[in-house]
Amino acid sequence: MTAVTESAVRRRSVDWWRWSGRLFLVLLLGFTVMPMIWMIITSLKTGFAAMQYPPQWWPAEPTLDNYTRLLDPSGRIGQDFLHYFWNSLWVSTITTILAVVVAVPAAYAFSRFRFPGRNFLFFAVLLRNMFPAVVFLVPLFILMKALGLVNTHGSLILTYLTFGLPLAIWLLKGFYDNIPIQLEQAARIDGATRFQAFIFVVMPLSTPGIIATSIYSFIGAWNEYIYAYTFLTKQSQMTLPVGIQRFFSENATDWPGLMAATFIMSVPVVVLFLVLQKYFVRALTEGAVKH
Amino acid sequence: MAGVILEHVMKNYGSMYAVNDVSFTVNDGEFVALVGPSGCGKTTTLNLIAGLLPMSGGDISIGNRVVNDLDPKDRDIAMVFQNYALYPNKSVYKNLAFPLQMRKLPKAEIDRKVQDAAKLLDITHLLERKPRELSGGQQQRVALGRALVRDPAVFLMDEPLSNLDAKLRVQMRSEIKRFHQDLNATIVYVTHDQLEAVTMADKMAVMNGGFLQQYDTPANVFAHPVNTFVASFVGSPAMSLIPLEVSGNALRSPEGWELQLSPANVRKAAGSTTKDIVLGARHSTLKLHKSVVPGSVPGKVYTVEPTGDVTFAQVFINGAVVNISLDPSVIIAPDEMVWIEFDQDRMHLFDGATTMALQAA
Amino acid sequence: MYTSRFDYLYVAPALLVMLIVIAYPVYYTIELSFYKTPASLSLADKTFTGLDNYSTVLTSAIFWKVTWQTIIWTVLSTLFSFLLGLGAALALHRAFIGRALLRGLLLIPWVVSAVAASYVWKWLYHSDFGAIGALLNAVGLTKGPVNFIDNSTTSLYALIVVNVWKEFSFAMIMLMAGLQTVPESLLRAAQVDGASAWQRFWHVTMPQLQGVSTVTVLLLVVQNFNSFIIPFIMTGGGPVGSTQIWITHIYELAFLRQNWGVGAAYAVLLFLIMMVLGYFYVRALTRGDDKRAGA
Repeated sequence: MTAVTESAVRRRSVDWWRWSGRLFLVLLLGFTVMPMIWMIITSLKTGFAAMQYPPQWWPAEPTLDNYTRLLDPSGRIGQDFLHYFWNSLWVSTITTILAVVVAVPAAYAFSRFRFPGRNFLFFAVLLRNMFPAVVFLVPLFILMKALGLVNTHGSLILTYLTFGLPLAIWLLKGFYDNIPIQLEQAARIDGATRFQAFIFVVMPLSTPGIIATSIYSFIGAWNEYIYAYTFLTKQSQMTLPVGIQRFFSENATDWPGLMAATFIMSVPVVVLFLVLQKYFVRALTEGAVKH
Repeated sequence: MAGVILEHVMKNYGSMYAVNDVSFTVNDGEFVALVGPSGCGKTTTLNLIAGLLPMSGGDISIGNRVVNDLDPKDRDIAMVFQNYALYPNKSVYKNLAFPLQMRKLPKAEIDRKVQDAAKLLDITHLLERKPRELSGGQQQRVALGRALVRDPAVFLMDEPLSNLDAKLRVQMRSEIKRFHQDLNATIVYVTHDQLEAVTMADKMAVMNGGFLQQYDTPANVFAHPVNTFVASFVGSPAMSLIPLEVSGNALRSPEGWELQLSPANVRKAAGSTTKDIVLGARHSTLKLHKSVVPGSVPGKVYTVEPTGDVTFAQVFINGAVVNISLDPSVIIAPDEMVWIEFDQDRMHLFDGATTMALQAA
Repeated sequence: MYTSRFDYLYVAPALLVMLIVIAYPVYYTIELSFYKTPASLSLADKTFTGLDNYSTVLTSAIFWKVTWQTIIWTVLSTLFSFLLGLGAALALHRAFIGRALLRGLLLIPWVVSAVAASYVWKWLYHSDFGAIGALLNAVGLTKGPVNFIDNSTTSLYALIVVNVWKEFSFAMIMLMAGLQTVPESLLRAAQVDGASAWQRFWHVTMPQLQGVSTVTVLLLVVQNFNSFIIPFIMTGGGPVGSTQIWITHIYELAFLRQNWGVGAAYAVLLFLIMMVLGYFYVRALTRGDDKRAGA
């Protein structure tokens, strides 16, 4: 066989694979994006326009009313919604800060030290991920009652911390594993204490890991539903996922309003994610490839 | 500058002894190479001197001061790592300044010392770069610079050349040697490459299995290896070792031949604890003949490797591979029968049971 | 490696938090499962009933129905998430313009809250005004309004679609990471040896992906087995229990019917299942460790 025909054959087979890959990606993208687009289109409709059959594929009279209503601090709906939003932001931020503060030393220790029981502890931490929230609801509710935390954000922060920590520790450990131990040894010989070596050498290098861990913790806390649904009964304390539900099931569902609310609820995490995607993906892949 | 003294230094992990009762003295201004195969305990020994690992027993002094319980930062040492361990987020300048900052030196003095070190190592033009923008050789120089900027009592180097390519390694070898001479520095240098040790060091400490095998000048280690391990580790190609048995005044091979020993060697052989003796010979002391001559033993050629000015032949004798260097004009072919003549004054005899070199009583 | 007794201090805060919020609930749940506790959850009035709660669970007709639905839910969700994720990972492995953007878009469902996803899909499936039904009508596949989630024969599968939409990109990102570890030289060698694109995939890529795939599938199984939000919000387990899975059933028993003991017994059984899965998970992870240590 001549070189020409051989390369022609190969090119043809490569093209076939490439094109089927592209087609697959297009279909998958449609599957992924269409619900989001429909959410946005619906949120731009009036309540009347949404309730039509066949549906208006594009709103006849697009309106931002649903958004202004939710974000208007003078209206009752706007007040409640902004309150939920603020609660979510507060709980997620505090959870994230605490998770990083607690996870950094733990992950560092799991990465660097060999102490008795280390493996057992590490797997115990990992296994925590396997237990569903629902089965912890009752005992945790009682525990929170005993601690006087029911109907406070403290109950959520404490709970989110525990289910966020295993992942945070795991992710950060992956980053620390990739920082050569010689760097710390060099720092200690250069005159740093063990703590200084950690602060001046290890911490700056693990910034991407800390960013990634923070995003994970934040998104996890922002999206959490079950504990918030159970622990909080006071309207004033509710976070967004619970808040919007109570909000719209009172009367017949206001679909355009609900779609606008879910859109606003999704914006912070999606923006955070898209901006910091690089760290997010890297963290997960480091963990996945080398545990 | 100062010397380093190790006395009965131990390091164990459970029942595994990484460093077992190692003692040696590095004099002020001396260049000592710790050499041995991987896992022999040489890097652990270096880390014990640095204080990066806690000792399980023994004493280490640096400059007449016992440093057993001192932190690395208080031992007045500098270290160059195999992968250079440059802080990747800091510029070269900041890498060099870091040890001085940690010691809280005034800014002007830091700057002066960094500039001096940079000039000495010819890296002034690299000061603003990040480590990842440097070549391997440049990173190596920066690592050296970070070590010398502080003017430490002792330099510790952990295989600093093993990440470089062959050509650069030879060049850096002479630079480090020059550095040692110019600064009159005390250096403890870990390497698995015996050639580096032989060419650079004043003394070499050969380690194996956590034990110190021999501590002496390279010339003495080469000429008088204390056991078969050292004999086979030092020298390139390695000393050939042939296991044989004593029989009267001769060494006997199961293949049927005998090699008569000189009176001096007979007295050495008499010191063996059993009948088993290992005969050692370096390639340059052997002579190859194409026919039987008195005092020669038969062998079969395995390979012939011409290198230009010398040809190396590997010959099977009594099942052992024996290296011989030949004049390039000698023509031999694989599988040819040859006869090897030993130099009685330059052969080594080792106790087959203990592996120790046998001395004339 | 350093060692010192202070090493524990680094881990202590994390352990303390976990201990309070994990060890206590596990103990409590086990205890609750052996008692009959009044609806008020007043623990002083609970009575010991031995294994009664467990026999109630295992002999009830609904147990097997819910278990079967849980298996369908878990297996199909895992299978399709993995396959879509694998396809996407392979298609995205080659560099092209806009790859990062595309990857980002595909990952959005994984990032948004399950609550938001449930509402959006509930609206898409709406039997009167839903976009999907209308679309199927428009292309002539169906006539008149279509019931997806108000119909007990289709509801479970409709929810599985939502679940796959939400989590396939998790599998995608894990497998993309795995693909990066497939040595280019191996693929070249296979090409030189005359392997076709498919053979290269099957004989070189897939074996290399085995470790990551195992971990991914296990994590998906655990995640799906523990799903709650999507069925709870979209159908509440209905209609006529057709989307009830273990977790939603436990929730209903405990919180809606105050049947604390039976709910706890379910939870303990679930712990046991998770321990088995956890064993395989840990084994999959440690195998990777051994490999690296041996290298």
